[in-house]
Amino acid sequence: MFFKSLDLTTALRPLLLPDETLLFVQDAVGLYEGKYKIPDYQNGHAYLTSHRVCYVAAEEPRKYSVGIDLKEVDRAEYQVVKQTVRSTAGFFKSSPKITLYPKPQKGKTDKSRSATASPTVSQQSSLLPVHPSSPRPQSVVPQQAASPKPVNATWICPICSFSNPVPSNFDPATATAATHLPPCLACGIKPPFTTVLKAAISAATSRDSPLPSTTAFPTENNTAHENGSLSGPAGLAGSVSCSRCTFVNHPSLMECEMCGAPLATGGLSIPGDDSSRTDSPAPFFAQSRITNSEVTDSIKLSFRNGGEKTFHERLKGALIQRKWLLQNAPPVPPPSQAGASTSGPAIAALESPQPAAPRATAVGIAGLEQRGLETRMNNQLVIGNAFEDLEALMASAKQIVALAETLARESGMTTNEGASAETNAVLSESAAALGMVTTKDMLSSGSENLYLSELSRNLAEYLTDDRKGILHREGGIMSLIDLWAVFNRSRNGVELVSPSDFQRAAELWEKLKLPVRLRRFKSGLLVVQRYDWSDEKTVRQLQEWMEELRRVPPDESVPWDWTVFGRAVTAQEAAQRFKWSVGVAAEELEMAEDRGVLCREEGIEGLRFWSNHIVA
Amino acid sequence: MATSTTTTTPFTFPPTYNFPPFFTPQPNSTTRHSQLQKWSSLIQSWCRHHRTYRLSLVDAVDSPLFHNAALRKRLDLAEARAVVDWMTKKEEEEGGGGQRAEWIEGASAGGNAMPKSVAWIWWRRPEEWADVLVDWIDATGQRGVVLTVFELVQGEATVSQEFHGMDNDVMMKALNVLVKRGKASVFGNEGEEGVKFF
Repeated sequence: MFFKSLDLTTALRPLLLPDETLLFVQDAVGLYEGKYKIPDYQNGHAYLTSHRVCYVAAEEPRKYSVGIDLKEVDRAEYQVVKQTVRSTAGFFKSSPKITLYPKPQKGKTDKSRSATASPTVSQQSSLLPVHPSSPRPQSVVPQQAASPKPVNATWICPICSFSNPVPSNFDPATATAATHLPPCLACGIKPPFTTVLKAAISAATSRDSPLPSTTAFPTENNTAHENGSLSGPAGLAGSVSCSRCTFVNHPSLMECEMCGAPLATGGLSIPGDDSSRTDSPAPFFAQSRITNSEVTDSIKLSFRNGGEKTFHERLKGALIQRKWLLQNAPPVPPPSQAGASTSGPAIAALESPQPAAPRATAVGIAGLEQRGLETRMNNQLVIGNAFEDLEALMASAKQIVALAETLARESGMTTNEGASAETNAVLSESAAALGMVTTKDMLSSGSENLYLSELSRNLAEYLTDDRKGILHREGGIMSLIDLWAVFNRSRNGVELVSPSDFQRAAELWEKLKLPVRLRRFKSGLLVVQRYDWSDEKTVRQLQEWMEELRRVPPDESVPWDWTVFGRAVTAQEAAQRFKWSVGVAAEELEMAEDRGVLCREEGIEGLRFWSNHIVA
Repeated sequence: MATSTTTTTPFTFPPTYNFPPFFTPQPNSTTRHSQLQKWSSLIQSWCRHHRTYRLSLVDAVDSPLFHNAALRKRLDLAEARAVVDWMTKKEEEEGGGGQRAEWIEGASAGGNAMPKSVAWIWWRRPEEWADVLVDWIDATGQRGVVLTVFELVQGEATVSQEFHGMDNDVMMKALNVLVKRGKASVFGNEGEEGVKFF
């Protein structure tokens, strides 16, 4: 597993590969290698895409950004939320973390993978030999190793049939009959050794463990975390002590078994209570440049602002789907090629895989109708299949996108005959933009600021995207309302952005140092323009134009001296010349007038602007 | 004075007179100020050329002064009034045109009493006229001599002077300035005033 350098877009987000889609974004994330923090990589955005996990630092993102290909990730583990470790110094809390383990590399015996005697040993043995030369603080407080392993197994007392937790220090691999066993919590009778051993083994085997060879012992994390935000005295193996009666309950219980009080699973440590904590007591990793360095150990993402659950869920999904395998794969094979290809290439590409039924040759209107019917059936099937469940939608994403493209193109062609070619182009390109947009459900709820800043970046990318050239086509300036309309149309009617969110996102450009900026004209009109575009440049353009008009004789004879005064221009002419919209042109002309460069003439021809010869 | 004797030669307009935006009130304050100054000096030189002392705006808006036939542009009555209004204001305190005009109250052009329709255009202010008179008196050695106002305005001795053919009211205003300064005294009945310079 390698840290790869990232290409960032103009909006300082990872540049996505073709077919790569953004799955999730989370801010306030730090990076660890093994147990050690990597300096300068402690506060940034984590981007989960279908192909990669990317980290982009909030400060100096061009310098500190790395990506890890998911294809090199073996598995991801989700470390307990806000784990509380009892130590002599008191209680330490750590932010929830997701650990990425690399795949074992070929031709290299990976100690950490093969030696799986116990998780504690494997973790330590994998750490120490990796960087023997790197100076490490000796006073490391091991986060994980010192705490006893929580076990989710229960044994049933043969006397009173009470369900007791298997003691945390009980290791079925090493335990013997001599091992001390605690008595039943209800009747106080010591259980027979075999009962506890059986319970521990059955619990380990019934669990869907990522390490199939480890049935001999319970692994440290998985079981306890599945219940989310469990916490409790670590000595009692993840079980929860009731706050009312102090009875120690089984971790999967929501209410106290004794008194029925709701168990405050998050009571001891509320997730997100110290949201902006960027400094954790973990030691720093000594290496400062990590790009292109190999990771033999694990990578940890520390979520200081929450969002780890969704991240983990989507990461698991991405690891299962393995989209990167599709990267160079041919598109979904269009089925029943021979028959359907006559109905137009666009439709043919949409048809769903169906056994090519022996096709009766029909001619004339009947044939056309039959063909139409088939097409409709196929489309129906595609849509039906895709929406059956979300997994299926992911699988048939390509088909659906193609269908959406065609529908958009068709609706564009039929409904507005006179619409500009640009609009149609934007509409038909819209599917391409699907992968680029941040939608609200990509982010954990409540992170309004993150949503806005991501939307802001999205917009900046959308505007500066050379393929679309939105801003360029509009003469470098565009009214915010026009942009809102075009942007929302490109989202194909899903996940539309509300005007207020849109405006707030646009207002963030300046703060996020993005290459576009929002500008308010005197009249209150909000426009979007390139960051480096200024009024001075516009004024210079206008002045050049006015100079030009003084050199070129007007079409018809004019009563004034055109070599001195030139001629009048209207907002329409300016819009045409500079490819602005008329509203923007009027505003720009008035801006120039405001600066005394132009002056106005009101007449029966309407409002026209002249080079200012009144101010001598 | 060149202009006083060449009333037959056509008035030459400044170049801005042929600039179409000159006839549109400018919203930009700097441009507007400049525009008003140019209009003020145009009106003054027009009046000096035509020996006009009182300007009736209602009549003037159709004259070439406010109506550029070639451009088919005109300054309408309201706008012309705004220009003259600006001219009546003091330069320093009110940002105006330095009292180069003064509204004639109660006067009217067509018989209807309308406020702000006729104005004195002070291409020379009464004080300046007074100075001109004193200079002439000094130059001709007429101190202590009693002259009638009619003599000053229409007499053969003043034909070469700028104030020859001057509006009677303007002359009286100028003489009143001198009276206040103690340089002259005016006596006699209305319409038959005599003046003695000290």
